Amino acid sequence: MLLTKKAGSASRDGAASPSNSASPFVHSLRRGLSNALPTMDRRAFLRRSGLGVGVGLAAGQLALIRKADAADGRPTAIGAGKVEVRRTVCSHCSVGCASDAVVENGVWVRQEPVFDSPINLGAHCAKGAALREHGHGEYRLRYPMKLVNGKYQRISWDTALDEITAKLKELSKASGPDSIYWIGSSKHSNEQSYLLRKFVSFFGSNNCDHQARICHSTTVAGVANTWGYGAMTNSYNDMRNAKVAMYIGSNAAEAHPVSMLHMLHAKERGCKMIVVDPRFTRTAAKADEYVRIRSGSDIPFLFGILHHIFKNGWEDKKYINDRVFGMDEVRAEVLAKWTPDKVEEACGVKEAQVLKVATWLNENRPGTVVWCMGQTQHSIGNAIVRASCILQLALGNVGTSGGGTNIFRGHDNVQGATDVGPNPDSLPGYYGLTEGSWKHFAASWGVDYEWIKSRYASPAMMSKPGITVSRWIDGVLEKNELIDQDSNLRGVVYWGHAPNSQTRGLEMKRAMDKLDLLVVIDPYPSATAAMAAMPGKAEDLNPNRAVYLLPACTQFETSGSCTASNRSLQWREKVIEPLWESRSDHMIMQQFADRLGFGKELSKNYKMQKVKGMDEPVPDDILREINTNCWAIGYTGQSPERLQAHMRNMAAFDVVTLKAKGSVKDKVNGYDIAGDYFGLPWPCYGTPALKHPGSTNLYDTSKHVMDGGGNFRANFGVERNGKNLLAEDGSHSLGAAITTGYPELDHLLLKRLGWWDELTDDEKKKADGKNWKTDPSGGMIRVFMKNHGCHPFGNAKARATVWNFPDSIPQHREPLYGTRPDLAAKYPTHDDKMAFWRMPTLYKTVQQRNIADKISEKFPYIMTSGRLVEYEGGGEETRSNPWLAELQQQMFIEINPKVAAEKGIRNGERAWVMTPTGARLNVQALVTERVGPDTVFLPFHFSGHWQGADMLAYYPEGAHPIVRGEAINTSTTYGYDSVTMMQETKTTICNVERA
Amino acid sequence: MARMKFICDSERCIECNGCVTACKNENEVPWGVNRRRVVTLNDGVPGERSISVACMHCSDAPCMAVCPVQCFYRTEEGVVLHDKDVCIGCGYCSYACPFGAPQFPSQGTFGARGKMDKCTFCAGGPEANGSQAEFEKYGRNRLAEGKLPACAEMCSTKALLAGDGDVVADIFRTRVVQRGKGAEVWGWGTAYGSRQAGTQTNGGSK
Amino acid sequence: QTQAPATAAAPAAAPAVPAQADSGIRSQNIFEVKPDASQDPGYLEQTNGERQRVQPGNNAPMWRQVSGGVTGFSSLPVEQAPEAGNLIQRFVKYPGSHYTNAGEAWRQTRNNLIIPYGAALLFVTLLALTIYYFTRGPIGLHERETGHKIERFTPFERATHWSNAIAFIVLAISGLVMAFGKFFLLPVIGGALFGWVTYALKTIHNFVGPLFVLTTLFMIVTFFRDNLPQKGDMKWVRQGGGLLGGTEPPSHRFNAGEKVVFWGGVLLLGSFVIASGLFLDKLLPGFVYTRGEMQIAHMIHATATLLMIALIMGHIYIGTLGMRGAYTAMREGYVDETWAREHHALWYDDVADGKIPARRSAEARAAAHAPVGSARVEGSPS
Ligand SMILES: Nc1nc2c(c(=O)[nH]1)N[C@H]1C(S)=C(S)[C@@H](COP(=O)(O)OP(=O)(O)OC[C@H]3O[C@@H](n4cnc5c(=O)[nH]c(N)nc54)[C@H](O)[C@@H]3O)O[C@H]1N2
Ligand SMILES: Nc1nc2c(c(=O)[nH]1)N[C@H]1C(S)=C(S)[C@@H](COP(=O)(O)OP(=O)(O)OC[C@H]3O[C@@H](n4cnc5c(=O)[nH]c(N)nc54)[C@H](O)[C@@H]3O)O[C@H]1N2
Ligand code: HEM
Ligand code: HEM
Ligand code: SF4
Ligand code: SF4
Ligand code: SF4
Ligand code: SF4
Ligand code: SF4
Ligand SMILES: [Mo]
Repeated sequence: MLLTKKAGSASRDGAASPSNSASPFVHSLRRGLSNALPTMDRRAFLRRSGLGVGVGLAAGQLALIRKADAADGRPTAIGAGKVEVRRTVCSHCSVGCASDAVVENGVWVRQEPVFDSPINLGAHCAKGAALREHGHGEYRLRYPMKLVNGKYQRISWDTALDEITAKLKELSKASGPDSIYWIGSSKHSNEQSYLLRKFVSFFGSNNCDHQARICHSTTVAGVANTWGYGAMTNSYNDMRNAKVAMYIGSNAAEAHPVSMLHMLHAKERGCKMIVVDPRFTRTAAKADEYVRIRSGSDIPFLFGILHHIFKNGWEDKKYINDRVFGMDEVRAEVLAKWTPDKVEEACGVKEAQVLKVATWLNENRPGTVVWCMGQTQHSIGNAIVRASCILQLALGNVGTSGGGTNIFRGHDNVQGATDVGPNPDSLPGYYGLTEGSWKHFAASWGVDYEWIKSRYASPAMMSKPGITVSRWIDGVLEKNELIDQDSNLRGVVYWGHAPNSQTRGLEMKRAMDKLDLLVVIDPYPSATAAMAAMPGKAEDLNPNRAVYLLPACTQFETSGSCTASNRSLQWREKVIEPLWESRSDHMIMQQFADRLGFGKELSKNYKMQKVKGMDEPVPDDILREINTNCWAIGYTGQSPERLQAHMRNMAAFDVVTLKAKGSVKDKVNGYDIAGDYFGLPWPCYGTPALKHPGSTNLYDTSKHVMDGGGNFRANFGVERNGKNLLAEDGSHSLGAAITTGYPELDHLLLKRLGWWDELTDDEKKKADGKNWKTDPSGGMIRVFMKNHGCHPFGNAKARATVWNFPDSIPQHREPLYGTRPDLAAKYPTHDDKMAFWRMPTLYKTVQQRNIADKISEKFPYIMTSGRLVEYEGGGEETRSNPWLAELQQQMFIEINPKVAAEKGIRNGERAWVMTPTGARLNVQALVTERVGPDTVFLPFHFSGHWQGADMLAYYPEGAHPIVRGEAINTSTTYGYDSVTMMQETKTTICNVERA
Repeated sequence: MARMKFICDSERCIECNGCVTACKNENEVPWGVNRRRVVTLNDGVPGERSISVACMHCSDAPCMAVCPVQCFYRTEEGVVLHDKDVCIGCGYCSYACPFGAPQFPSQGTFGARGKMDKCTFCAGGPEANGSQAEFEKYGRNRLAEGKLPACAEMCSTKALLAGDGDVVADIFRTRVVQRGKGAEVWGWGTAYGSRQAGTQTNGGSK
Repeated sequence: QTQAPATAAAPAAAPAVPAQADSGIRSQNIFEVKPDASQDPGYLEQTNGERQRVQPGNNAPMWRQVSGGVTGFSSLPVEQAPEAGNLIQRFVKYPGSHYTNAGEAWRQTRNNLIIPYGAALLFVTLLALTIYYFTRGPIGLHERETGHKIERFTPFERATHWSNAIAFIVLAISGLVMAFGKFFLLPVIGGALFGWVTYALKTIHNFVGPLFVLTTLFMIVTFFRDNLPQKGDMKWVRQGGGLLGGTEPPSHRFNAGEKVVFWGGVLLLGSFVIASGLFLDKLLPGFVYTRGEMQIAHMIHATATLLMIALIMGHIYIGTLGMRGAYTAMREGYVDETWAREHHALWYDDVADGKIPARRSAEARAAAHAPVGSARVEGSPS
């Protein structure tokens, strides 16, 4: 019998092909038999046997292939109904991979790769490839719920909103608006995070924050203070131009998988790849050189490299002279202090290897440095990232294609939420909390400055940075007299943030119990919900506590822009209508605002659109408002029209340069993308009409400013101790009319230069008395950039020394909880700080107490944590996705075989992990040489087990993740960065025992 | 005649499981059935390499040869498919398959495994192309739509290549020449029945 | 047409610019030059990590591991997918196979050895029996039946035998369809129907198997004693049971041929069949049931069952067509005195001597009060 391919397949008709698979015996036997029967294809064959195709026995009893059912049970009829393709962007990390959603009758039936995307060329990691599960949303919270007698009960949206509003008003009245803490989200779109900052301001508080605090806050602060903007300088794509790439504290293969597409390409063309990490990561597996360092010792290593560079004169002297301030001081200190023996003592790397890395960096330029959480999550994170910047400055690698500091951001929109979202110390666009900024925004928002002021407890509180998300628990638990605001925190709103991502879980449980109000607004609020419902200590429980869960919808159920790590903005189209009873975050904000009495003010500049019959501010309008006020970081050129045109014409952008290849007019809105960089990477200065193309590589003097070129920012004055802070003569962006360094642009400068009259009359009226950041017309920027090729933020030097930081030259300091008291004596931590982000913050006290208690003997292993490719963040969302959850079913701890042998733990067995907080975690042991004998590693994406017990019973019914496990942050310790209050999650200590 | 093949470039594969979930997504494969999986050798030590593996659509397919009900067939493109209506769930294909490609929805006590499921090269099954019945049993028929397998299309680093053997081999060869390094490709030799670096010849049963 | 999609994925993959590995790792194009490092001492023993140092990108040591069947890491839990970490089954040489990976080797053994030779064995057995039947015909009785019945099998014995026999036949038929159906059945009834039938038979096989285990145990216990070797067995064997001519040598209750069926067929082959069958059914606790183990279990099972089928074919022949009176014995429990004397002379003597009661079961004794029975034998010497 001859089995042929299907008949009737239009694309593949053709002659029957004899099966050539059988063994000779079978073959001849079959041939013999088929002689008796005429040859026929399988269809004819089946017909003859009296059975048509499709009368399958299989389908019925299969239970194998589940239908692509929509959440509400509408089946997927293939080929019937209206099919639309909506372009969206993966919501799981900052790479920003585009994905096409195929929607049929409102159901997300398929997911197709977007080969045209210059960022991902169709590629996805596990999370991105599983996006469509969001359209099932089986384990999501379906309707609002309230905690009643330890159980979550369904309530209506109206009841929920009314009750919460009443409670907010009551608390605000009794204890002031600062008694409520708003935890926003890096998952929100730019429009939503921006609106949330506005919302909290109108509520009368700066007590808001989001994931960036515990993610890249140290980077943002450290890097911005070095040269201008605290962001990735180049792009994933540009890494294709690198000749050497050093990943230090980044596990990109798991955390930014698609970035590896570009890196591996570079590697194939000869780029050398170095990975510096306490773990031999999946990224390290791809490296040409892997360097194992002790967690927290990046500065010794980086300065160890620098030592060799300076010693051999490998630094870029002209570059340093022209564009860097304070390198001499650093040079002197590094040469004196970080000799190879000291380096080896502190970070454990031998001189030969340090020299090898230094040599590679010297011989291969441009080179890039990539970092991520390995550097940031330390009490000295701000200093570590600056050490990396200094290394790149010394090599002259910043501001060139193939160079730069490629700082891989975290969440899909953590960059955007940092730029324009709920930060406790700034307004959108990094505008400080000064009166000038407030007035700038009041004008843009169309509200009275005095009105906003009246919303705050006092003018002082209006300009005082709020509490950080890493410390909200102390805002609840700390003695009232020690905190720098009137009341302790009494209410917390978790608006798109997981609880198991912040440290000190045991104390968080106490704080949660003490609250008067806990509101969780999240598609997957379950981790917080379970933690709140789980019985704690009776004495901690506030009898008046009210806990509400509100179902937010995901970014696939609304539209808006998000900013990828490379600063490109991408517009997401709405894929499906909000599932179940969920509502979009900006709709919820509007509904709260309406009830709190400032709904009109909140959405003065926005039109409303109906979603499920309710009003929702139009995201495009919110972005347009951002375009009118965030001048300082160039969030003004990215109009919705431009972004949408980019999304529709991705194919026109070059994969290496990200620049549009020629002119393409968008079919829908007619915008011509010629000259633009993909996604108008910020800064995209001036008004959209200026057509600034965005800046793909920051500080690049080889390009004209209107082509995305630039130089370092003049943000720190023009001179310091008699030394010039501005760029030296001759160092300027291509074609600039001013060929020396210059300060930032304001009306005086423009007038002095005699360019004022190039403004239109209307612009003059608006710009007078303003600087480029506050000129609402954007005219000054236009004149300065377009007419004269100058950069509105000035042209200055980068700072190798940052005098306004605790350590003006980065200093290595040992973590608060460490295994090396000997080193802590040599490299002690900071002094304690009072009233730091409204909180007393301990350094020396804790470190010295730990040394005195010989704590490192009881907890001899360095405990670090990080990511698995399948899960994201706190993980409730991804652990609720069966396609992902199946791939990682156990929370585990990586231990070295030596430790395993000592402790008698075998691979796959259970182990207890104990930390100085008294927490005990029950996890599976993974014995591997990935970690050295002094270090253990745990992924941080798990929750749902609490010190050995399953929390399933405390979840709202039906809304629990498929995979649950012990959350590492139940056990993590105290420790915060000395500038930004970043939690010290990458370095603490623990002990391990067989369970 | 095109011969559809996969190559997984272990120099690029980063064990991100993108291919695995892409497959789950596109074909709605249930929990417990993994048409594709990623394996890492020398895990955690220098020399670590990952390889994504599914059905290799062997030229001389052992699964096909042992199937007691002859439910396998091969398409013009060289894709090895099977008919779930005919499959009896005996598990023989999984014993025979060198790569562990055949999967079963249940554990098999009393031999009750359910119908075998495996990678179809996103080419569906014997039902009419693109029909609901085909989708429910075998997942999507992308080939009929002129698309390549979802797993390869979405591979995060383009480590996994799928398509006409000659084209794919060319792409890979270009990479290898560029790198000037080793030529070993996952599954290539085995799938073609030819010699693979460092391995014995696969005798076959010819 | 298929080339188009193939290239669609290509752009990212195929780097536009060919090697100008200026700053890259300099090494040779493996298509032209033999890498220098291969001259290093210990080159062949290098681990993949060591090889990367001298020849980045050359993963030959890893491929050697792969083909050696080394199991790597897979994030899937071991309980769910114990062999997920294995890329290629290890290399083995099974009887009749090349040295190749286990899956392929198993295929070769099954398809090139077990299936064809098994088929041949069954075919030859069948042929032999047919020829025997037509040349020799059934073994009849030399003397006339006396009409006196001796109880040969108690109802319990018969029940045991029949349940065992039925189970066996069901298993044999279903097993044979699994093994050979695609050659003789599939071409006749077509794929879809064949699939249904085989699926049903296979499911039946899987459930009747354990039943057969039970019945076989009963069989062994029931017929154990009378199958113990006895005087005369050797003689019986030496004379070929008289099957090929000559007179049938005297035997006890069971002759040596039957003992061969019992010991060789039921006990020995049966144990193999049962053990391997239970294993294939995944009913034995404490095993992971890897493919390698399944292959071995299968080969044992298939071999043992085929041998057993051949043997039992002979047994059934003798029990039915081959010997007059045997079948009624098994069906009704009684044999005629003459039959007993001619075929199991020693046993007949014992019965006649009263060493063995002519009626052993309660039912038979009860029936004996009825007029049917033979008074002659009962209780009295001849
Ligand atoms: N799959 C997945 N991807 C993600 C996320 C996710 O949750 N899952 N989250 C996103 C987010 S929010 C972020 S911020 C990024 C984070 O991305 P990464 O920072 O790359 O990921 P991590 O695993 O947290 O940490 C990176 C590495 O730092 C190492 N490390 C620990 N201590 C030190 C140290 O002191 N020095 C150095 N040099 N290295 C150290 C760890 O061993 C780890 O391998 O990933 C983003 N992408
Ligand atoms: N020990 C340890 N702790 C860490 C880290 C570590 O490496 N080690 N990493 C830290 C880092 S870098 C980060 S960024 C954090 C990450 O930690 P989190 O950001 O707290 O973790 P996620 O689970 O990603 O939280 C995002 C939440 O937003 C919800 N969400 C998704 N989309 C939307 C939406 O559109 N609207 C709303 N309202 N909600 C939405 C998700 O359901 C989820 O509950 O963890 C930090 N904590
Ligand atoms: C004496 C009785 C038996 C005979 C004649 C028999 C025969 C066979 C045959 C011929 C095969 C097919 C082999 C092939 O296709 O290569 C087979 C497979 C199998 N047999 Fe048996 N078998 C017997 C008893 C058992 C028993 C007692 C069990 C279990 C307890 C069992 C379980 C199996 C299983 C599990 C398979 C594998 C195929 C499947 O899962 O469907 N068999 N048997
Ligand atoms: C239709 C199928 C079968 C028939 C017609 C049949 C027939 C018979 C007959 C007539 C006897 C009695 C012989 C005598 O009186 O000496 C007998 C005995 C016996 N049969 Fe069967 N049989 C069948 C199947 C089986 C099977 C499948 C088995 C075991 C796997 C089996 C095992 C035995 C045993 C153990 C005895 C007792 C004698 C001895 O120990 O050999 N029979 N059978
Ligand atoms: S998680 Fe990141 S790398 Fe993975 S698909 Fe999404 S955006 Fe891309
Ligand atoms: S890989 Fe396995 S299942 Fe696929 S064709 Fe080859 S033998 Fe069959
Ligand atoms: S499980 Fe199905 S496909 Fe596999 S060999 Fe058995 S019948 Fe054939
Ligand atoms: S080709 Fe299709 S069916 Fe096969 S593994 Fe890839 S996605 Fe799955
Ligand atoms: S998607 Fe690509 S890189 Fe990721 S595991 Fe699969 S083959 Fe490897
Ligand atoms: Mo993050």
